[in-house]
Order: sequence, then C-alpha cells, then structure tokens
Amino acid sequence: MPTTTIAAENLDKSFSGTPLFSGLSFSASRGLVAVSGRNGSGKTTLLKILAGLARPTSGRVHIETEGAAALTPSERRLAVGWAGPDLELYGELSAVENLHFFRKAAGREADTADLVRRLAAVGLAEEAMRRRVEEYSTGMKQRLRIAFATLFDPPVLVLDEPMVGLDVEGRETVYRVLAAARERGPVLLASNDERDFVDPDQRIEMKGSRRRGA
Amino acid sequence: MKVLKLLLLPYMAAVIGAAFLWPEPAKGFIGESSRIVFFHVPCAWASTLAFIVAAVYSAAFLWKGKPWYDDIAAAAVRIGLLFGVLTLITGSLFARVMWGSWWNWDPRESSYLLLVFLYSAYLFLRAAVEDPERRPRIAAAYALFAAVLMPFLTFVAPRVTASLHPQTVINPQGKILMDTPTRAVFFGAMAGFSALFFWLLSIDARAARLRRTGENLHRD
Amino acid sequence: MSALARAWAVCAKDATQELRRKVAMVAVFFFAATALTLVSFAIGPFGLPAADRPALEAALLWIILFFAAATGLPRAFVAEEEAGTGLALRKTVPAVVVLAGKSLFNFVLFLAMALITIPGFLILLDWKVNSPLAIAATMLAGGYGLAVVSTFLSALVARAGQRNVLFVLIAFPLILPLLLTAISATIVATAGDFPTTPLRVLLAYDGAATCGAYMLAGVAWED
Repeated sequence: MPTTTIAAENLDKSFSGTPLFSGLSFSASRGLVAVSGRNGSGKTTLLKILAGLARPTSGRVHIETEGAAALTPSERRLAVGWAGPDLELYGELSAVENLHFFRKAAGREADTADLVRRLAAVGLAEEAMRRRVEEYSTGMKQRLRIAFATLFDPPVLVLDEPMVGLDVEGRETVYRVLAAARERGPVLLASNDERDFVDPDQRIEMKGSRRRGA
Repeated sequence: MKVLKLLLLPYMAAVIGAAFLWPEPAKGFIGESSRIVFFHVPCAWASTLAFIVAAVYSAAFLWKGKPWYDDIAAAAVRIGLLFGVLTLITGSLFARVMWGSWWNWDPRESSYLLLVFLYSAYLFLRAAVEDPERRPRIAAAYALFAAVLMPFLTFVAPRVTASLHPQTVINPQGKILMDTPTRAVFFGAMAGFSALFFWLLSIDARAARLRRTGENLHRD
Repeated sequence: MSALARAWAVCAKDATQELRRKVAMVAVFFFAATALTLVSFAIGPFGLPAADRPALEAALLWIILFFAAATGLPRAFVAEEEAGTGLALRKTVPAVVVLAGKSLFNFVLFLAMALITIPGFLILLDWKVNSPLAIAATMLAGGYGLAVVSTFLSALVARAGQRNVLFVLIAFPLILPLLLTAISATIVATAGDFPTTPLRVLLAYDGAATCGAYMLAGVAWED
C-alpha cells in the first residue's frame, strides 16, 4: 500500500498579533505522532490546521501519496480524518442517517450495511444506531465522532482528545482503531493524558503562548 | 504629492467661487438653483467612484491577502457614504426649490438612497464580525456580491424609466447640454471633487492601517 | 457522483431536520398568517378604490413574503453554527455544494410559503388574478433570487453578532431591486398580461446572483 506523508512546513499561528506557535515543522508517514502540551498551548489549533479546518498565519501543510498525483482540494479534504471535542453531528438525525448524509454529500456511495458495520466497530449498539443523536450519552457521542473520523478510510488520521468521556470498553475500541490506523499511515493524537500515547513513533511538544496565564 | 495637496485647497476655493460667480444660471431652472450641478453631480460621481474602488480593492484583498487593500476598501466605503449623504442632501435641496418637495421617489434619487443603505450595511457588517481574521474576508465577500447585483438598480432603472432629473449630463442624445463657462466650472468641479475623494481616502486608509497595526502591538 | 446529487443530499438533510424540528417552518408560517390577517383586517375586500388595488396588493404580498422569508431563510447557515455542526460540514463538503443545497432548500421553503400566502390573498382580500401562469412564473423567478441571495448572506452572518438585525440590514439593499421588479411583474400579471420585461430582469438578476454566490461561496463560508 502506498505511503501517505503529512508534513508541516514552518507553521505559524497568531491570533490578532499574539503568537500561539511559530516555526513548527514535522513530517510523518506511518506510525503514531504524540502531540502534547498544556491547555492553551495550541494542540487543538494545530490539529485543526492539519485537518484543513483552520488557516495558519504562515507556512504550509503538505499531504502527498507516493507515486500518485497531487491531491485535489476535495481529495485533501477527505484524505485527513479528524475528530475533536467541538465536533458535533446532527442531533435530529440518527447515527446511521448522519454517516449516510456525510458520505452522500462528500460524493461517495453510502451503503447502510457498511455504515452499520462501522458503527458496530466503534461499539455502538444496533438499537442505538437508529436513535437520534441528541439522545446519546457523552460516551456514545464520542464513539460516533471516531466513526466520523474514519468514515472515508483516510490515510491520515488526526484525533484530538479521543478518549474523553469513554469507559474502559470505549478506550479499548479507540486503541484498536489507533493500532490499525498507524499501520496504514500517520496518526496524530493530541491528549492531556500521557497514558493515551501508546508507544509513539514521534512527539510534538507544544510550548504554548505567552498570552495565557499558567 | 504634497504640492498637489496644498494646491487642492485654493483650487477648490476657486471652483466654489467660480460656481457662484462665473456662469449664468441655466434656463429652465428656478433662480440660481442650477448652480447645484457643480456640487451635486461631483458628489454623486465621488460616491460611485467609492463603490468602484471598494470593489476593486476587495477583490485585490481576496486575491493577494494584503491587509492594506482591505484598509483601502473599508475607507472607500466610509468616504463613499459621506459623499452619498451629501448627494442626497444637495439633491433634496434642489428638489425643494424646483418642485416644492424634499423627496420625490425619482429613480435616480432612490438609487442613491439605496447606495447609502448599502454602504451603511457594509460598515455594520464589519462592526458585527468580531473575529479580526474573518472580518476583512466577510466584508470583501459582501462588497463583491453587491458589485455583481448593483447594476440592476443603479443603472437599469434610471435609464429605463422616465425621470424628473434634469437631463443636462446623462441624456438620450448623449450630449452635454451646457454652455462654455458652465462646462468649464462643471468639469473643474468634477476634477476637484475626485481629487478630494482620493485625498480623504488616503487619510482614512492610513488611519485604519495605524489602528490595525496599533491593535496588534497593544496585545503584546 | 455529480455535484447536483451532492447538493441534493444537503437539501434533503436540511429538509429532514426541518420536518423533525419544525423551527423555521413554524416561524415562517406564523409570521405569514399574522401579517395576512392584519392586512385583511386593515384593508379588506371593500376598503379601497379599484384602480389602486393592484399596486397595493402586489406590494403587500411581496412585503409579507420578504419578511416571512427573513424570519426563516437565514437559518440555513446560522443553525449550523449554533448547533456546532458547521465544523463537520466544512470538513466533508465544499462550500459551493453546501450553498447550492441550502439555496435549493430555501427556494422550496419560499415556494411553500407562497402556496399558503397566495390563497390567503385570494380568499381574504378577494385578490383578482387574470394570469395565474404569470403569477407562477413571477414566484419562481423572484423566489429563486430571494433564496440564493438570502442563503449567501446567511453564510456571511452565521458567525457574526446581532444576526437577526444584521441579516435584514445587509439583505435589504441587495434584495430591493428584486422586490421592486417582482412587484412590477405581479401588477402586470394581475392585469392579465404576461410581464415579459420584468421577468427578463428577474432572470438576469437570478443569473447574476447565482454567479456571484458560486464564485464567493468559499470566501463566505470557510475559515
């Protein structure tokens, strides 16, 4: 399977002139990249930039698959799977309906049996899959987030605090997802809890901004 | 450039003086009211020029990303609003003298009222977007979207429908129906007001840039 | 899968949400019903000289439609930001597809609103329409423009403060040409003629608005 590399080149991010981080560069093709740092150090922002959800003040993010042509913007969008604490899905729809919508809107086929399988893989019960997301517990919503991140089988996975709100079984599920994903391509994992980083291949330590208090 | 700015003041004084003293009042107008053309039309022109500048620099900002271009676009809208309001006031005074009422819903009058609303809406939109990174992009998107739709009111309606507006400048024959002294002062005023517009634009844009860079310094 | 199919998916999603939640629908219909009742009490079928009625009724109709639309149409993008679902959508779907899908939904919402308001006018105000085809054409052409412009502006205000007032303020100067032309067309249609010129202007406006929204979609709704 061809390797996909995600690389950051001299990323700077400032908010209204106050720098959050600067000169950040790294490259990863396979394996787990642990992103650590205190609250407010910019982990979430960095991950959003890598996922294409925020713009850096300067610098670039490269995503390349060896032997393949450059990715179109649409392909880029789907090549990086992302889930974070502020990811919300549609409360009025069920989990299956949510995933079905995102696949269709992204221009992909949406097979209900496949979606049910994906949701089962993250530990959602069959009867829960058909209930509206607004009725879900925190743990169930978090499992759905993981399903969303892996929905397009992306070569690159970016997860921000994926263990929050999960019980032991939920954590085991995420470890399984991570273990599988790191064999296929780069996985970036941000967490406040060191225990979440199982045998990382690389580490990015966010130093943090001068602006916020300790 | 400084010399030109210094010259602008006596030049405008000369234009204003000439407006009242040199040409004779035009036929078909009540009393001295035709003299308004030396002030009203240049203000209207400056207001329209502002729109063009704002649209061009909004596009330039989206293309190149330089904050200075956004400063210019926003300044153009502010100055354009000023001249737009002046256009409405001078027009209204003229209407009062000629037809006895302050406002007539003439298509051309109305299109300038709409322009004033549009400029105000743009400035309100800028004020309402709190994120300083998104603000210029949202403003630019609005300015360009408005540029695409504006021809429908400002140019289609006045050409198509009959208007109370005197037809001395924009008319079906395509000729300027003025005698020589009037023409001289008129074009002189147009040049003067245009220069005044660019000068005010320059001041406002530079002030905006100072505010923007000053804000960034202050946060540290 | 074609872009149209993807936009349709967005539209269908919005429709499903709306049918389950009913927030926008209720607000819009309640507004239209209230305004209609107010107007019919005020002028009724016998209150005015016959010559003035067409212009007044046409203007009132479009005023009601515009303000009812202003109650419901901006929810297109605002609701996404309020629910926090904007991120997921931005992650998966290009801005142009989202804009197209939501414009389509808003167009349908507008037509549904017109289908309620117009019979109301016919019954309560004894509105005389001599060319129903022309009225239908006007509703389609005018409604489309209103939907596209409102959806685009909704994207602009989605992450700003004072959204309700802001929307009406920024929409008014852009929608006025459409409303004036639509009112003209409606007056002609009630007289029984086919309003060719106003409809041509409306179609040109619709075309310009579509091009503008298409080109600026990414700027209006992105990071």
